[in-house]
Amino acid sequence: MKEIIAVVRMNKTGVTKKALVEAGVAGFTAFKVEGRGKLVTNPSLILERKKELLLMAGEDQTGEAEKLITDFLVGTTLFPRRLFTILAHDEEVATIVDAIIQANKTCNNVGDGKIFILPIVDAVRVRTGETGEAAV
Amino acid sequence: MLMVRAIIRPEKKEEVLAELSRAGFHATTVVDVVGRGKQKGIKISGIIYDEIPKALLMMAIRDEDKEDMVRLILKYARTSEQGAYGDGKIFISPIDEVYTISSGIPSL
Repeated sequence: MKEIIAVVRMNKTGVTKKALVEAGVAGFTAFKVEGRGKLVTNPSLILERKKELLLMAGEDQTGEAEKLITDFLVGTTLFPRRLFTILAHDEEVATIVDAIIQANKTCNNVGDGKIFILPIVDAVRVRTGETGEAAV
Repeated sequence: MLMVRAIIRPEKKEEVLAELSRAGFHATTVVDVVGRGKQKGIKISGIIYDEIPKALLMMAIRDEDKEDMVRLILKYARTSEQGAYGDGKIFISPIDEVYTISSGIPSL
């Protein structure tokens, strides 16, 4: 048994759920989290995001929007994300990971999230009292 | 790789995150949680509060960084030199695999 912890973009919740159903696992727990990844060492990646955000800000004579965006991107901001935890049999893990990656990939190169796979020692289904693999 | 889950006081969150970032542990996931510990919550004038707000920090780290990480959290999440009830807990569990979604590369 494994626990798959996936941190994904907020707006990817829907496609992730769909991808999980298609991968054969309907059950999951999800909640809102905040977080940050490792510091981006390639400045051109940030520059692209900055350009995009500046376009969204529209006309800006005062330079205020640019200052806000710069602080947002280079600071220690915690970004909102959705965290999924999925319990899976060992042999299903690869399929699920693949499905999550396919659903969540964007062309932004940064910020798409992480997937962690942790071992689970035991699980119990509350309704029947089943334990181990049968409870997953 | 290891998953470090630290439950700390919410008012200590900013300081701990800043110090972790300074030490090179920039990546983290933060959740606001409620809970109680061994003291069964706190009793104030006859009323028991057992859903005490805390911050849960989740960090995936390399095995060799464990000592550093734990030392930093212990140092900056404590409310005084000797610590106090309610300062929190640190849980460490193994991680089998890690994937970065943007690149699909199986590493941190």
